Amino acid sequence: MAATVFAGTCIGETPIPLSIVVQTLANKVLGAAYPLDPIDMGIIWNYRLPRALVAASCGAGLALSGLVLQSLLRNALADPYLLGISAGASTGAVTVTIAGIGGGAVSMSLGAFAGAVTAFLLVALLARAAGGGVSTRGTGQIILAGIAGSQLFNALTSFIITKSANAEQARGIMFWLLGNLSGVRWPDVTLAVPIALTGLIACVWHARALDAFAFGADSAASLGIPVRRVQVVLIGLTALVTAVMVSIVGSIGFVGLVIPHAARFVVGVRHGRLVPATALTGAAFLIAADVLSRTMIPGQVLPIGVITALVGAPAFALILLRGRRRP
Amino acid sequence: MILEASNLGWSVRRLRIVQGVDLAVREGETFGLVGPNGSGKSTLLRLLAGILKPTTGKVAVEGQPLSGLPRRLAAQKIAYLEQQADTGEAITVRDAVELGRTPWLTPLQPWSDEDDRIVAGALADADLHGFESRFWATLSGGEKQRVHLARALAQRPRILLLDEPTNHLDVRHQLSMLDLVAALPVTSIIALHDLNQALACDRVGVMAGGRLVALGPPQEVLSVDRIAEVFGVRASIVVDPADGARIFRLDHLR
Repeated sequence: MAATVFAGTCIGETPIPLSIVVQTLANKVLGAAYPLDPIDMGIIWNYRLPRALVAASCGAGLALSGLVLQSLLRNALADPYLLGISAGASTGAVTVTIAGIGGGAVSMSLGAFAGAVTAFLLVALLARAAGGGVSTRGTGQIILAGIAGSQLFNALTSFIITKSANAEQARGIMFWLLGNLSGVRWPDVTLAVPIALTGLIACVWHARALDAFAFGADSAASLGIPVRRVQVVLIGLTALVTAVMVSIVGSIGFVGLVIPHAARFVVGVRHGRLVPATALTGAAFLIAADVLSRTMIPGQVLPIGVITALVGAPAFALILLRGRRRP
Repeated sequence: MILEASNLGWSVRRLRIVQGVDLAVREGETFGLVGPNGSGKSTLLRLLAGILKPTTGKVAVEGQPLSGLPRRLAAQKIAYLEQQADTGEAITVRDAVELGRTPWLTPLQPWSDEDDRIVAGALADADLHGFESRFWATLSGGEKQRVHLARALAQRPRILLLDEPTNHLDVRHQLSMLDLVAALPVTSIIALHDLNQALACDRVGVMAGGRLVALGPPQEVLSVDRIAEVFGVRASIVVDPADGARIFRLDHLR
């Protein structure tokens, strides 16, 4: 984990030797006093390190959200993106930005959280009305409802942007919506890291409960799981994590869907091991995607959502094909 | 009384699935529940397990109301075997049986050697030796059923609620499952379709139209007249000359 963050810090558009990276970290963290170029030090400390840390938190958080939704809804397709949670968070964040309520990352996160929860409640209600429900056996409806919800909230976002934003704002928002880590600074780190850690701890704590959902909610209840409470706590947390990550880096698809499956192929389905593995893989994947997005086209930064999809889709196809050969 | 229900009822959209059930199950007995399809057997079991909240009446376990008991404590006392519980996850037989230990574990009270011992015992009791690392998807219907039983046994409950546990089982495993359940030092309530299997229970309850219409020793309750009334079939009792055992022979009621 530390190694991945370190690698993310080392690799970048401006080549900086490894020794300088180490010395910068030593200066800042351990209070050493190596004589260094302040520009290099600034790039490392103010730009790359926070970026790598946020990418790691974001990857871990989104991957865990996907894992929780897949286990609780018993649907391999569930992830915050597909269930409309990301779309709702975007709508919330955009509304707050354009209306200009408060300022900074926290108010945007609150807006995103409100949007995410609203979106999920709507989707869950629609699924229940359609006869599926969150806990019952028919789980196809929740995905259909999620797709409807995503479309609705994406349309709402576009509507708000077209109606209210000026051209410059609109361009900025569109770029942010595709996922972008360029603007990340230390304040974002202090928001993203604790939220991701909270999500991780909650998932580790509930690992056995998540296991118990393997045979459905009734079976989980007969194994002593307070089904309703676990669903509310974990899905609420998923909405919070997704909302915070969306408000910092925009909506990044694919991580929540693919990473848990990739982790399952490696460590199996027991959540005791699956939860840490998913968090680690998600973190490493998003750091790598961020490094690629900065270095693939010289002089230009690609939206990270483009990279996660471009790299993730073939990787997922490979995993699926290899998984078929196993008994 | 280890398990008591009074005026128990459950309805969905004004449709009464179960109503007015009064039932007291004694410690250690094997209680059979029979009745035609849709008579409310499964719903009654789910109410007794505390998975459904009753619309009327209440359930008490060892004298305490079940609704006031935290899920975890309830699951330490009661294990419930669903009729069809399936999963798409690539879990192994051992994983599935280990789930039975869930109510006894917390993040601060992790897996121990004792749990390993209990799981091994449950696997052996359900005749699953050699199946431990098989994947769920590769099992037959009867094997899945035995894994579910092993999971319920690993839960070490005082009360075992089984919903048609002999479904999908071959003849040998039907007999060994019922013998095993009868020999266990637990109270069990079993929904059954085979009336001959019901004859082996200590007491039998007959469900019809959501009500418990008869309750008592199987020889009394499962009379030829009642079988005709509830199931609409003509029964005649045949006695095996070798040991005097009674067997139902069933025909269409014309």
